[in-house]
Amino acid sequence: MSIIKTIDLTKKFGDFTANDRINISVEKQEIKCIVGENGAGKSTLMNMLYGLLRPTSGKILLHEKETVINGPMDAIAHGLGMVHQHFKLVPSLTVYENILLGAELKKSSKSPIIDRKKEIDEVKKLIEKYKFELDPTDKIEDISVGGRQRVEILKMLYRNVDILILDEPTAVLTPQEVDELFVNLKELRAQGKTIIVITHKLREVMELSDSVTVIKQGKVVGNVLTKDTSEEELAQMMVGREVVLTVQNTAENKASEEIAYQVEDVCTINDYGKEVLQNISFCVHKGEILGVAGVEGNGQSELVKVLTGLMKTTKGKVSIYGKDVTDKWPDELRQNGLGIIPEDRYAQGLCGTMSIADNCIAGYHSVPDVCKFGLLDRKNISCKRDRFVKDFDIRVGDINGNVGQLSGGNAQKIIIAREFESNPKLLIACQPTRGVDIGSIEFIHKQILDFRNKGNAVLLISSELSEVMSLSDRIIVMYKGRIIGELSPKEVSRSEIGLLMAGIQNNKAKGAFI
Amino acid sequence: MKRMDFGKRLVNSVLPVLLAFVIGGIVILMIGENPLDTYGILLGKSLFTVKGFLNTLHYASPLILTGLAIAVTFKANIFNMGVEGQLLLGAFFSGIVGTSLPASLNPAAAQLLCLAVGVICGVVFALVPAILKAYCHVNEMVVTLMLNYAMIKVLEFLATGVFRDYSSGYVCTPIIKENAMFPRFGNSKLTMFFFIAILVFIVMYVVMNKSKLGYEITAIGKNPEFAEATGMKVHKKIMIMMIISGALSGLAGAGYMMSEQFKYTLSFSGNPGLGWDGMLIALLGGHSPVGILVAAIFYSALKTGADHINLYSTVPKEIVSVIQGLIILFLAVKFVDEHTNIREKLFRKKTGKPETAISEEA
Repeated sequence: MSIIKTIDLTKKFGDFTANDRINISVEKQEIKCIVGENGAGKSTLMNMLYGLLRPTSGKILLHEKETVINGPMDAIAHGLGMVHQHFKLVPSLTVYENILLGAELKKSSKSPIIDRKKEIDEVKKLIEKYKFELDPTDKIEDISVGGRQRVEILKMLYRNVDILILDEPTAVLTPQEVDELFVNLKELRAQGKTIIVITHKLREVMELSDSVTVIKQGKVVGNVLTKDTSEEELAQMMVGREVVLTVQNTAENKASEEIAYQVEDVCTINDYGKEVLQNISFCVHKGEILGVAGVEGNGQSELVKVLTGLMKTTKGKVSIYGKDVTDKWPDELRQNGLGIIPEDRYAQGLCGTMSIADNCIAGYHSVPDVCKFGLLDRKNISCKRDRFVKDFDIRVGDINGNVGQLSGGNAQKIIIAREFESNPKLLIACQPTRGVDIGSIEFIHKQILDFRNKGNAVLLISSELSEVMSLSDRIIVMYKGRIIGELSPKEVSRSEIGLLMAGIQNNKAKGAFI
Repeated sequence: MKRMDFGKRLVNSVLPVLLAFVIGGIVILMIGENPLDTYGILLGKSLFTVKGFLNTLHYASPLILTGLAIAVTFKANIFNMGVEGQLLLGAFFSGIVGTSLPASLNPAAAQLLCLAVGVICGVVFALVPAILKAYCHVNEMVVTLMLNYAMIKVLEFLATGVFRDYSSGYVCTPIIKENAMFPRFGNSKLTMFFFIAILVFIVMYVVMNKSKLGYEITAIGKNPEFAEATGMKVHKKIMIMMIISGALSGLAGAGYMMSEQFKYTLSFSGNPGLGWDGMLIALLGGHSPVGILVAAIFYSALKTGADHINLYSTVPKEIVSVIQGLIILFLAVKFVDEHTNIREKLFRKKTGKPETAISEEA
């Protein structure tokens, strides 16, 4: 018996069909993974199930009865809960307060006073029932990301949902936390819950799910049982062609002894005065890719901000080929041969409401071939844009339109084109393939390796461990604003790096600073 | 896509004006006059007679400048609300210089000197909030807004005390020397000032649409983080924009002094004031230089047409103030719409097809 079923579910945004006659069926007590590239329509589908979007046509069947879901409250009332990728929790409140937010337990039904003891007891029982590891009286801001996710799940379970939808649940977790999450989810399944997981990480699909639905360009292209399929087959379905999952860094280490980029003893504090970088020191040689691994939020963002001129150091020195560039402005850094692929492409790399051409010159709008006597040479800028679009295979709908219309991969390619075409000697690539489709990932990885092979230096920061491992010549791991280890990707396993990412130092990590 | 954008912007500017005229028409009907005849007089006399049109251009000159002064900062999401104060300061001291010049000075030199004084005063006064904003992160909107009132009081003090012309029956400064006045062309009020304004308009058109500075202003306005990350020194650009804005305001004040008022009175800038009018014009023109030019001429036509209404019909000329007020009101509705999507929500209720905002992650 299927607990949730869609029949020809379609969603159109204007002329764009995000979901085209989707038919899926989820059995009771199964873990269903919905996979697909970014922009394939996974989130649209889930938002329709959760009542955030209204289908243009088609039906949703809950417990084999046609149901119209009018909003999240309605969805929860129907026993359908969703855990979003970005947690919706109050950091300064405790675990139990967050779980019971909006459903506080009173001393009596008319009393305005909250019964804290009863609340804590209730939440404790809930935690024990599902064998989660949590202390109800901890504050959210003090617990780990994995813990916060468990709170989100409990929030839904408290409201008696029997279908749980999780949107990209592992994006923010360490490998160890991912394992814990999987144990928890399997326990929930054993207790009779049905779970739908949206993801694009195939390794996790294989490990976790009972069945898989693959969505491509708004259409269901595959419905298989996990035991009958393989990672490669799923990847093929997702992109509709054979792909090498990752471009491997096969070239022998050709790094010369010459140091291209040196960071010495850099410290910084954030707006709240907290020290977020502590004595960061590393160097990148010519012809080398140095990877920075770590769970997000351990100082990588701040490190990139300091290195790209958006944040000031409180101590330390940064130099490019021996030239001191500490605390220089982004434009001066670029003049010194630094190319920057920023972390958040729509905040720091592109301006969505400006034209493609305008974005192609951003950061390089003072160079003589586009700017003469303070006036922009529109003709040359258009030529440049056309060249980028052709050489980097950027798919644009309207060449005169805004960057906002482009998909993640194509938008990222604009940045890649812009930064590589300015002939830098050193590249800082931060999350270069986040939210990018597989085809573009391959392309971007190749570009980075080619750039390295020409004898340039690359600093690669990514929370995608497989990306760091397959591209880097050396890896440093960041934890709580410090570098806690340096490794060679060829000598260590994922789990060893995973331990370091979680702050557990083992003896294999050579040269661990401080 | 661009054309659609342009169409939308045109509708956004024209619709408030049309609505204002429709409601203004109802008011005229209630007075017992024919609205079409009244509007005919209003716009016909100020736009379709040679003398009326030249007068309209004359009164549009300071409005073009203040409109541009507002737009150049607003486009970067920096809000110089102090155009009025900068204009008054520029006007006042260009007037003082104009009266103290030797009468024998070459007119061109005298006029240039007066304009320069106006520009410098505008810039200096705009620098106060600019420095506070760029280097101390003080909200420029509050500072510029408040400094207007401070400046009005300071100038009132100077005009009633230190620089008062005691031969006059009311509070004003002495009339500027003849060589500092812009001579009129023919029997209209049009002077050199209009052509200066047009020249500035052309320069600003190039700056805002074709220059690196214009590109950076747009980027800062649309995404300051992006601007900073791509190497634009935002605080330096804030200074430059405020200096340009102050210079245009000062120029507007000095020009108005030398082509129309010739002395500083307590109602020099009229009511609501040329700086405030400039804000309306910038909004009406959608912050684009061409839009501002058209809006300034249209607005000026309303102002000059008001006197004709008094002469040729029984409708009081205050009807023009009513229309101006209504335009502001309807422009404000447009902003409410932009920030709350009220039109979309209303539309959705009517058609019964909800479209939630959570559609960006398709």
